[in-house]
Amino acid sequence: MSGRKIGEVILDLKNISLSFGGVKALQNISFDVREHEIRAIIGPNGAGKSSMLNVINGVYRPQEGDIILRGVHHANMDSYGAAKAGLARTFQNIALFKGMSVLDNIMTGRNLKMKANMLQQAIWFGVAQREELAHRLKVEEIIDFLEIQHIRKTPVGRLPYGLQKRVDLARALAMEPQILLLDEPMAGMNVEEKQDMCRFILDVNDQFGTTVVLIEHDMGVVMDISDRVVVLDYGKKIGDGTPDEVRANPDVISAYLGASH
Amino acid sequence: MAFFLETLLGGLMSGMLYSLVALGFVLIFKASGVFNFAQGAMVLFAALSMARFSEWIPQWLGIDNLFMANVLAFAVSILVMFAVAWLVERLVLRHLVNQEGATLLMATLGIAYVLDGVGQTVFGSGIYKIDVGMPKEPVMMLESVFEGGILINKEDFVAAFISALLVVALSIFFQKTSTGRALRAVADDHQAAQSIGIPLNRIWVIVWCVAGITALVAGVIWGSKLGAQFSLSTVALRALPVVILGGLTSVPGAIIGGLIIGVGEKLSEVYLGPYVGGGIEIWFAYMLALVFLLFRPQGLFGEKIIDRV
Amino acid sequence: MFYRENGQFKTSYKSDQQIFPIPQDRWAIFAIIAFAFFAIPFMVDEYLFRAILIPFLILSLAALGVNILVGYCGQITLGAGAFMAVGAYAAYNFLIRVSGMPALGAILLGGFTAAAVGIVFGIPSLRVRGLYLAVATLAAQFFWDWAFLRVKWFTNDASSGSVSVADIDVFGWIVNTPTDKYLFCLGTLVVFSFMAKNLVRGNMGRQWMAIRDMDVAATVIGIRPLYAKLSAFAVSSFYLGVAGALWGMINLGSWEPAAFSIDRSFQLLFMVIIGGLGAIAGSFFGAAFIVILPIFLNQILPVIGGLFGLEVSIALVSHVEIMIFGALIVFFLIVEPHGIARLWSTGREKLRLWPFPH
Repeated sequence: MSGRKIGEVILDLKNISLSFGGVKALQNISFDVREHEIRAIIGPNGAGKSSMLNVINGVYRPQEGDIILRGVHHANMDSYGAAKAGLARTFQNIALFKGMSVLDNIMTGRNLKMKANMLQQAIWFGVAQREELAHRLKVEEIIDFLEIQHIRKTPVGRLPYGLQKRVDLARALAMEPQILLLDEPMAGMNVEEKQDMCRFILDVNDQFGTTVVLIEHDMGVVMDISDRVVVLDYGKKIGDGTPDEVRANPDVISAYLGASH
Repeated sequence: MAFFLETLLGGLMSGMLYSLVALGFVLIFKASGVFNFAQGAMVLFAALSMARFSEWIPQWLGIDNLFMANVLAFAVSILVMFAVAWLVERLVLRHLVNQEGATLLMATLGIAYVLDGVGQTVFGSGIYKIDVGMPKEPVMMLESVFEGGILINKEDFVAAFISALLVVALSIFFQKTSTGRALRAVADDHQAAQSIGIPLNRIWVIVWCVAGITALVAGVIWGSKLGAQFSLSTVALRALPVVILGGLTSVPGAIIGGLIIGVGEKLSEVYLGPYVGGGIEIWFAYMLALVFLLFRPQGLFGEKIIDRV
Repeated sequence: MFYRENGQFKTSYKSDQQIFPIPQDRWAIFAIIAFAFFAIPFMVDEYLFRAILIPFLILSLAALGVNILVGYCGQITLGAGAFMAVGAYAAYNFLIRVSGMPALGAILLGGFTAAAVGIVFGIPSLRVRGLYLAVATLAAQFFWDWAFLRVKWFTNDASSGSVSVADIDVFGWIVNTPTDKYLFCLGTLVVFSFMAKNLVRGNMGRQWMAIRDMDVAATVIGIRPLYAKLSAFAVSSFYLGVAGALWGMINLGSWEPAAFSIDRSFQLLFMVIIGGLGAIAGSFFGAAFIVILPIFLNQILPVIGGLFGLEVSIALVSHVEIMIFGALIVFFLIVEPHGIARLWSTGREKLRLWPFPH
């Protein structure tokens, strides 16, 4: 791998439990994420992986547990707070703003950094225009980086699936996040698209030093690109460690192969 | 105390009528996810049809029997409402499958306008009498308990009784018959229901037919009270808070919500109205529902909504 | 000159971000505005001003307000008329109760009052969506209908229940002839349209649309639903309030609460559906359509009836009118949910590529 250096723990999840009515989606789960690493969460369907991401960026509130982000406790993380704290994410079922162009979708990722008030925006000339241009430059960099220049002005609804996933990533990157949460970034892609996506994830991690937490089903991909892996099954953590350690873990093997204990 | 009870009972009885209209909303919403703004227009349409056919049929057939005329007019009106249901499904709903709720709502607003227009063009835009022999005279009750007793409108009483009967009949239809089961299945999940062979389009026609019948009953009751006239279409606007209060998907919610709104309106008008200039019935119901929404967005009996990402 | 972009290259993001990036569009818009200001006043008669042009301008402004809320932010409202009423009565009260209040100031304050009321009635939108919200906005409609009818303070104890204002005075310009009224409304509409366009193409508009399209994803990238929704309610109500003040003080001169009844609310909603949800131009198309259709039907229906030897009464015309409205709503929702504005832009798209469509 490249010259990036894995640093201290920046995100620490402690004893997270989450339930919906009687369904226990997550039970007492703890793990940590170090700076600059690529951390994967794997597990069979219904293991609670997406719920875990939703807890991290405040879409769901866990009943118990503590989220420590850069030493700050967030017992009650909300989505806005998570975004402000530098967490960005993509979605399993693409959640783009389908009525808007690619460019506008990515520009929404800059909203927290834009300061012009409503009157200034209504007048446009002056503050709002300068700001819009400055952020447009940044967004164009991301567009170049992800190689989607040709579809800039296209409404996202018209794009094929693979490109939509890329726009989803672009929008998250536009936030210039410290931690990027990716929910199955490669689901439903063909091999070529997967290779592209892998390259982008590694480049983001390498060039911007962004910490990546990802959920993925493709074991080949996970084992190749991640530094450490957490394994969930039925809302419980059954494994945690480097790809090699996890591969050798008997609980993980039985969860995946369905063998009895 | 007697006066309070009188107001309360009056409220309960008009509430029963609200329940009836609200039931029409709930039925359609449950089975097709459509918030049917045209329910009021359907009440008006049905009432006009009833009023005019009971006037026309004796002329056409030369019968002189009021009872026969009413029965025939009622039967014809049912057919008319069935035709409306079929046309709505054919011309509108079928083309809007899987659209968002708001789009469907606006479509029913369009339907309401068309029904208002057609109804008044075909049946006329005056005030027409519906005479189904509802008792008009008030009665005194509980004279032994209170001094002077409490005054009750017999007409309201009969109306409440008929509404209650219809509500019970519909509940049985929903719970016990196979069509009812199919309706509930569609309500739960369109696609799943379709995949086990329930014909979606036919179910929708059936629900709109049933809603048409409730509209007809409400129209006849209201029409015999106030005359069949354009203002009947606002009845739906008064029943909306009921649905919000009760929850869009709950039949018992519609009934209890109707009673709460009926009583709330009457009590507020009588005890609060004089201080603020009167006429507060209609917005009071809405405010009641609105405040309620803030604390329980899904209504009294509605199901809690969980966002999935 | 062809409607073509050949040879036009943009060399900076700034030129790409202009309000009308295609030069032909830019010139067309300016030509229309210039024509409206300098040519129309000399061309049309009083009837046309009163019956069509002034109502069209004011209702366009109101439709802009509805479009911001419904089309851009996705929050359905059935109470638009109430906010027009609030604007009208607030402007009226500012004008008669505050001595020395300039008319323009009263109109703007009417708008701000409506905005404040809009925020209050927008609060339910934070908890409820779609259908439930539609009912919540009806609460606003019925409450204000009642308030302006029964609370005498609002109407300055006018015994008839209707209020009236004298001709308004804008920095010494007495707006009293139809031409004056037309020019005043046109100026207001032009300024507010540009501001609306700027809002929707900037950060604010993107936040509204994000909430409309996918609210969970919007919160995850740091858009606060509270701020986005309430700001949409505020801006929308501000536009409606100003439109209401103009409707009362300029178009009608004296008015009653019935001028802003629930029928008005439905009419405004129909305008944006027919014109085009989420398109500024759609507001104008919709307003034009709904102002002109009844007049057109009034002329044409008796003629058609005459052909078949039928007498067409005024009542029949009004029934046919609502039937056609209703049918059109359904038609547009099914066939072209983005309304006339989308038909228009599709046409332009074709023209840009004509005669080689590929």
